[in-house]
Amino acid sequence: MSETPAIEMPQAKRDCAEARAALEEYLHNELCAEDAADVRAHLAECEECSAEHHVGEMLTAALQGACKDRAPEELRAKLLATLRAAQAQHG
Amino acid sequence: MPTATLDSPAMASEQTEPEQTGPEQTGPEQAAAARRDDFAEQAMQYADQLYGAAMRMTRNPADAADLVQETLLKAYAAYGSFKQGTNLRAWLYRIQTNTYINTYRKQQRRPFEAALDDMAEWQIGDAESFTATAARSAEAEAIHRMPSGVVKDALQEVPEDFRMAVYWVDVEGLSYAETAEVMETPIGTVMSRLHRGRKLLRGLLADYAREQGIAVQDPTVKEKKP
Repeated sequence: MSETPAIEMPQAKRDCAEARAALEEYLHNELCAEDAADVRAHLAECEECSAEHHVGEMLTAALQGACKDRAPEELRAKLLATLRAAQAQHG
Repeated sequence: MPTATLDSPAMASEQTEPEQTGPEQTGPEQAAAARRDDFAEQAMQYADQLYGAAMRMTRNPADAADLVQETLLKAYAAYGSFKQGTNLRAWLYRIQTNTYINTYRKQQRRPFEAALDDMAEWQIGDAESFTATAARSAEAEAIHRMPSGVVKDALQEVPEDFRMAVYWVDVEGLSYAETAEVMETPIGTVMSRLHRGRKLLRGLLADYAREQGIAVQDPTVKEKKP
């Protein structure tokens, strides 16, 4: 994704646009070291992009906090019994 | 085992005790039996995670339990084809996803969801717009304080493919490549589902915050701190 914008944009805005486009991958550790360093550098100097990144971090944290399901004990017992029965079938 | 992240100490100690069936039993049948034994140990470590994913898919505990059970049975039968040393968790998720699609999803009638992959960005809402930093900070704070039940409900409202992409990546911490394998889609599709899912979620949580009287975002108004 390296289309050059048709309309001239001020450098700062272009930096923001680039950083925003990469923010999700940055958050999920999917960028190569070099690109991640670029984003990190931009975040250090841009309050607004940094705030945007923080929203993303909070969203991930909230999801992790909300989805802590545990398999009910009853289900665990059932699963073990099922697997044992399948094992017994195999002899 | 460098990839396993959730070894509970109890499970680990159980694993180190192979069944004592006598030194002469080392034929291929015994090896296969040991391998199947091993499967039960290995797979049960992921019971919580499989159940969590099943809850996200089916959205109700009874179906989730059935789905996990069916997934483990299928995985058990197919364990011979699992490559040792690769990611067992992702492999199980893949089986679970297929099982879900082939059995449960057919029973549920949600015809509108198929069209959502084609939904235009503007229909989902524009989180990309450059709103003020203060509004963003308020949004982050609101998300941070959001009761987990609200977050969970919001996630359940997100259409399935988007919801699951968010779940695999954000909650389960799978890489985009692993998620692509689980969902059997190209990585680009994972990225777009993830992006849309997160965007929708953010919109839902912002709606909730506004209902609670928290000013999270109104790009046209400059916030004045009282």
